[in-house]
Amino acid sequence: MWLKELLKNIEKNMTKEKRLKKRHNAEKRFRFYGLASIFLALLFVLILVQNIFSKGSSAFMKTAINVEVFYDPELLGVKNGATKDEILEADFFDITIETLLKTFPTNNLDEENQLIDLFTTDAELEIKNALINNSNLLGKTVSLEITSSDDIDQLHKGNYPRDLPEERRRISNFQLSIYDNFLENKKIIKNFNNYFFKNGDSRDPEIAGIGGALVGSFYSILICLLLSFPIAVLASIYLEEFAPKNKITDFIEININNLAAVPSIVYGLLALQILLATIQLPRSTPLVAGITLALMTLPRIIIPCRASLKAVPPSIREGALAVGASKFQSVFHHVVPLALPGTLSGTIIGLAQALGETAPLILIGMVAFVVDIPSTPIDPSSSLPVQVYLWSESAERGFVEKTSATIMMLLSFLIVMNFLAVYLRQKFEKRWN
Amino acid sequence: MSDIKIKSKNLNVYYGNKQALFDVNLDLNEKEVTALIGPSGCGKSTFIRCINRMNDVIDICKVTGNIEIDGIEINSKELDVVSLRERVGMVFQKPNPFPKSIYDNISYGPKIHGKGESKNELDEIVENSLRKAALWEEVKDRLNEPGTGLSGGQQQRLCIARAISVNPEVILMDEPCSALDPIATAKIEELIDELKKTYTIVIVTHSMAQAVRVSQKTGFFHLGKLIEVGKTEKIFKNPDNKMTQDYITGRFG
Amino acid sequence: MSNEHTVKSYEEELQHLTDSVIKMGSLTETQLVDSMDAIIKVDKDSIDKIIKSDEEINKFRSKIDTQIMTLLVKRAPMAIDLRETISSLKISQDLERIGDLSKSNAKKVKPLPLDLPEELLSNLKRLGDLVIKQLNDVIDSYVNKNFDKAKDVWEKDEQVDDLTYIAMESVIEFLSKDKKNLDFSTHLIFATKNLERAGDHITNIAESICYLIKGEYLKGNRPKGKVIQE
Repeated sequence: MWLKELLKNIEKNMTKEKRLKKRHNAEKRFRFYGLASIFLALLFVLILVQNIFSKGSSAFMKTAINVEVFYDPELLGVKNGATKDEILEADFFDITIETLLKTFPTNNLDEENQLIDLFTTDAELEIKNALINNSNLLGKTVSLEITSSDDIDQLHKGNYPRDLPEERRRISNFQLSIYDNFLENKKIIKNFNNYFFKNGDSRDPEIAGIGGALVGSFYSILICLLLSFPIAVLASIYLEEFAPKNKITDFIEININNLAAVPSIVYGLLALQILLATIQLPRSTPLVAGITLALMTLPRIIIPCRASLKAVPPSIREGALAVGASKFQSVFHHVVPLALPGTLSGTIIGLAQALGETAPLILIGMVAFVVDIPSTPIDPSSSLPVQVYLWSESAERGFVEKTSATIMMLLSFLIVMNFLAVYLRQKFEKRWN
Repeated sequence: MSDIKIKSKNLNVYYGNKQALFDVNLDLNEKEVTALIGPSGCGKSTFIRCINRMNDVIDICKVTGNIEIDGIEINSKELDVVSLRERVGMVFQKPNPFPKSIYDNISYGPKIHGKGESKNELDEIVENSLRKAALWEEVKDRLNEPGTGLSGGQQQRLCIARAISVNPEVILMDEPCSALDPIATAKIEELIDELKKTYTIVIVTHSMAQAVRVSQKTGFFHLGKLIEVGKTEKIFKNPDNKMTQDYITGRFG
Repeated sequence: MSNEHTVKSYEEELQHLTDSVIKMGSLTETQLVDSMDAIIKVDKDSIDKIIKSDEEINKFRSKIDTQIMTLLVKRAPMAIDLRETISSLKISQDLERIGDLSKSNAKKVKPLPLDLPEELLSNLKRLGDLVIKQLNDVIDSYVNKNFDKAKDVWEKDEQVDDLTYIAMESVIEFLSKDKKNLDFSTHLIFATKNLERAGDHITNIAESICYLIKGEYLKGNRPKGKVIQE
């Protein structure tokens, strides 16, 4: 009898241990899954970043060729000691051709053309600017760094395969021999690519830049901020603090949540119909882009804004009311200041989303090829994400690294904005028990 | 012996379809502490929130019947809620100082009511209020530190000082000590004893012992009805109503 | 007691307290009966037993004291419970005093002669019986929380006073018969007085019970024997 009992007891203990073990195992498994998914996510991020960096980082440098320029007043058609205005008027075409041809001996016109093709189409401008910046150079010989063509740039950066047969290469054997000669004479140098930040878009990758897109994006986001922030904040304050709780406000609340989930392209269609077709605002402008993005961002700001208003404990409102503050005073003296950090960080994150938005901008015509940098929000312009889209479609090899570099710029803006949001929240958020 | 300060007549309160108070007739004496006791959800908090019309904030809340302070009806539309709350201060269950400095906590009330035009006057109000709330000695050197950094008991006294700062006639206290330790509770009770010389105080409490200690008059609420009201001593030694007796002796249910 | 306390042990502690008081009461009653018997029968053998039983009563008294202290500290009783506790304290005090008086009466038996006059004894016995009945009634009213009965006891103290007067008269008569009787008579006078004091304590108990039940003290003067009032 007692033996049976004992066995039963042992069995009972065993099952208890087993259950305990099972429980521990379940926990371990869960931890492992969690770690694995975080690891996987990190891996993807790393691959993405590595990919973009490896492709894009070279875009911040450009290849240039050292040439000797003799600013011959005769060729320029100006006198020695000419004024700036006279230099501005002068024709630099001849002097450019002469300078470039001097760099390597050629036998015929074809070879001459091939030689000139090694330099950027803006070589004339670069030579001219150097003189404008320093008019003392007139009549003297100076050494200048002329930007190379994108083909040489890519070749020098090692992105261009030399071992392809000549007919499938954009660079001829003759051009290759010139490049090798330059390389030997240490005429080829790498310097910082200021064109990338300064210039607008261009068909030639070596002089194409994101300057126009940067300014366009800046104007768009500024307009978006100016429109969406006050409207969203006022709407959330009214809905959260003043509006009666009934079916209408419930309906509005549901619809705000729905709007936040509406695909952004729909906003683009809306803008196309109303802003462009009906109101006839100028196409491809940051103004329209800003309004469109504001429409899209509104619900995305209202939601975190209401959440941070809700997070202010009711005891604060009661405390204010109890000393005799009116409803308005209790909201604007106490609740809103406390909700402000959350509101601001919500706004910044909403703007960050707007900054990266492409689809609606394509619809309102921001894909247009715009070379000029916009000076006002009603000039046609590009924007960063659209620029990425445009360049990724281009055939030239030089645009590949530029696409990645633009993505890097865009990502760094987003990261900075998100950090700002986190910082604001942590610095100013009041905690209560 | 003392005059009646607040008089409620057939007070009914509804939250939507649910009636929270049934025909409450309760007189509160001037410069006396009245304790309201009763199980949770019995309507005692609802009752005191009627006195400063704090229930206005709740959309679905409807109040019928009368409450008079000094013979003036406070539920009338003409009466401005803000000026009512200036006369009837309130202290809540959980200390709820504004997340601002101690000084700003106290000076906020006088500022919005236009009391204390100059900085000197405000300083004086702040000091007096803190002194009355027996907090001055503890915080006089750190008036610019946040009120939320004080201990629980100090926070509650800060809230009392805030209520006093607008110089009210009545102070409502909704379980002011429920979140405090015994020492902090004792300090608040001592303070209530002191304050009753100047103010009419209504305190809601779940602690029988506290009701006995601080009040002169006690009302017992149950399921929205005022079951019994009388001198505190009488209620706790020999209540007339069996329900009161069962509640205070711990036989409820 | 109407409803039960939410806290069961509180209920039990109060019940224990009441039980202790009732037990102490019945002990006191037995002792009083025994001491009365000893006087009437001049039974000197039972003296020791009675003195011993007083110790028992004293022990009960201190036990009840402890119970009350515990109750006050642990439960902070309110209203009816508070009155219950406080009246238990007072009743136990009165019972203890009654016990002391019985003990003192028992001690008085020792010097008494065996041939006391019949009339004197019967007068003493009438007084003793009444006091015993009063004690019995008052304990009964405590057990049943019977206000009317307690008030009845309170009012009947009058009769105790009257019977005390009569008993005193007969003791004095006995004394005046013979100077030799002086010694016994003094003892008997004390014994009679003790019985009257016991009656007073019983009245106190009745008052406590009335307060316990109604929450207020009985109004009006305590009843005084007619004879004494004159």
